[in-house]
Amino acid sequence: MATRSNGTASDRGEVEVLESLQFTDEIQHLMSAPTTDNAGFFTALLELPAPQAVQLLHSPESAKLIAAPVPNVEDFKGSFHFPSNSGLIERAARFSVFAGEGNNNTKKSNSPETTSNISSANLEKAVKSEPAESESSQPLVSDPTVEKRSIKRKDREKKVKESKKKSKTAANESSEDAEKLPYVHVRARRGQATDSHSLAERARREKINARMKLLQELVPGCNKISGTALVLDEIINHVQSLQHQVESGSIIDCNFPSMVMPMMWPEVQVNGNRQQYQQQWHFDALQQPVWGREEVCNNYITPENSLLSYDSSTNSVTLHSNQLKMEL
Amino acid sequence: MRPPSSLRQEFLKKWMMGLQRYSTSKKNMSILERKKAIKLSADVAIASARNGTTCWSRALIANGYSKDGGDDKHLVEQILGPESERLIMKKVLTGGASVCNKRMRSKKILKRSCGIQRTRKFAPQVALASSIAKRLVRKRTQILRSLIPGGEFMNDVTLIEETLDYIISLRAQVDVMRSLASASELASEP
Repeated sequence: MATRSNGTASDRGEVEVLESLQFTDEIQHLMSAPTTDNAGFFTALLELPAPQAVQLLHSPESAKLIAAPVPNVEDFKGSFHFPSNSGLIERAARFSVFAGEGNNNTKKSNSPETTSNISSANLEKAVKSEPAESESSQPLVSDPTVEKRSIKRKDREKKVKESKKKSKTAANESSEDAEKLPYVHVRARRGQATDSHSLAERARREKINARMKLLQELVPGCNKISGTALVLDEIINHVQSLQHQVESGSIIDCNFPSMVMPMMWPEVQVNGNRQQYQQQWHFDALQQPVWGREEVCNNYITPENSLLSYDSSTNSVTLHSNQLKMEL
Repeated sequence: MRPPSSLRQEFLKKWMMGLQRYSTSKKNMSILERKKAIKLSADVAIASARNGTTCWSRALIANGYSKDGGDDKHLVEQILGPESERLIMKKVLTGGASVCNKRMRSKKILKRSCGIQRTRKFAPQVALASSIAKRLVRKRTQILRSLIPGGEFMNDVTLIEETLDYIISLRAQVDVMRSLASASELASEP
């Protein structure tokens, strides 16, 4: 049907975009996965940048290691497919806090440019804490507890040293079952305090900044704004306007006897006159909402659609249902 | 970013399931009651699409559950489905409020004690730009917390993640409601 082909057409377009971005095959597979329920919870996207970025940084082994996060993502409950998140993933991976390790840039072809104000502490901590989160299928609330655990382990370690294995073994460990987090080896950046508190602070701040960047891309018109307060302002306005739209939408839907319609479904579906109603559902005539739309219709919308017409003269649904039966 | 069609379809299905419950009593309802019923079904439906994995969805379901009227409880049960309803209500009732309240209370105590020390030492301080910015940001996050359901119980990081997910779900809701309204408008043309 028309709707399905439209869906796959957009998927194909996204696959092309992905190829142009030079992602590995595994990522492409993940992104262009069919629209199953477990295709990718959006916030799993937020966990993807860290392990993904690590893989990108150490590209030779990346092929195997990227496969590791994939099953975790698909295990997420309540997940849904995000067709247009390729751009976000790419940007998140590139501009994300966790990408762009100074020492590893030599190996890396894909390292993000410009200001990498990231320490390896974040990288490793993120790699070790994020896989722990993703492998336990717990909700996001578990994030702070995991982070605290790794911070405590860091506190126990008085010395600040650079671990040679660093990202490679960190990446390897990410594919293991990370129940107990290994010690986080931290290298301090030049001119920065090295005590554990400020490092933790910095890690937390950069995590927040990464999320804020994703939010900026989500909310229209936030890209040009700089400064947390103004961006937050925009976000607040956007959420408020969306909530108001839901309110007014539920009032508008009040006027239509939508609550009765489900009873009629089996009758309408039996007959073959569905095409007539599908034509009514032609989106050319519909106004476009703010962020543009494609068709959303599927089979069970069309019978409902036919039952929603508001009969102003009689103001009752039952009369309309009689008309329907006569038509059919 | 558009909400994916799978999300919208799932929301629509569950929303209609919830509205079915009101079909028998539709004639007795005023416009206000209808609107409340519609909104409640929509909220529970969009929250159930997340199946208890996000904080805001659990808070929304808890809101729908605790309102007076046994009807609403049945609504939640019906939309969520029996097994998942049990799991989710467990999470909502046991996990959520008590732990988060303790956390919030201890945070407030900490802040209060730190604030007292701060004012003694730094009272004659010039208003730095950074402190002004920090104050603004803090105010905004407070407002955002009040907007997102269950936001008072989240820390900063979680708040932003929840906001992301919440915005997507709200968009899905609005899309479906709008398409419903305009489709009925089309259908009603003579």
